[in-house]
Amino acid sequence: MNAIADRYAEAGLGSIFLYTNEAHPGEYYPHLTSMQQKRRHAAALRDVLGVSRPILVDSLDGACHRAYGSMPNMTWIFNQAGTPIYKSDWTDSHSVENAIQYFLQVLERRRSQERMAPFRVERLDYRIQDQNQFYAGLERNGPKAVTEFRHAFRS
Amino acid sequence: MTADLLSRYNYDEFVPAKFKPWMRFDESPPLGSKAPDFPLWTLEGAETSLAAVWSAHSYTVVEFGSFT
Repeated sequence: MNAIADRYAEAGLGSIFLYTNEAHPGEYYPHLTSMQQKRRHAAALRDVLGVSRPILVDSLDGACHRAYGSMPNMTWIFNQAGTPIYKSDWTDSHSVENAIQYFLQVLERRRSQERMAPFRVERLDYRIQDQNQFYAGLERNGPKAVTEFRHAFRS
Repeated sequence: MTADLLSRYNYDEFVPAKFKPWMRFDESPPLGSKAPDFPLWTLEGAETSLAAVWSAHSYTVVEFGSFT
């Protein structure tokens, strides 16, 4: 996602990471109880995980996150008027880049005086499931996060 | 902002009874209509808003998530 932000910045694409609640709280990154802690965890996203996009933090009660469906790692694309034009309940860089390329083409077509009207489309996209990488992430949060995830999906 | 909401949203353990109630993507704002705006904060604590973010570029990608 960082690479996509860099690749399309000159084409007019903005990109941010919006910090929410902790999806898999563990001993090292426990559930949030204050905005100071939330900002500290968000800074770790930059310093430990290397997120280079601007990071903004939601309120402690997740007002924005909850209003948009409160999924743990979703992605939305907005146009400049504040209209969502893409939303996915999970973040996949291939899906996002595919959408960006399409919407940038729409901009070009409009500039060349093509008359277009929006319509809605639903599509099921596919992402790679990397269990090893996922569990490595849980271990970074603390052993509790690993145990709870295993228990949650055991039955 | 109630204490009950804060503790439920910032759940302390990943168990279905605590995380599943928040998975409400089907109830999220529709595509094609003006989306709701909310205040947001920088890592330094300065206040901004989602509208300030989306109005700055032709298109803006917003990834929601956390360290964990």
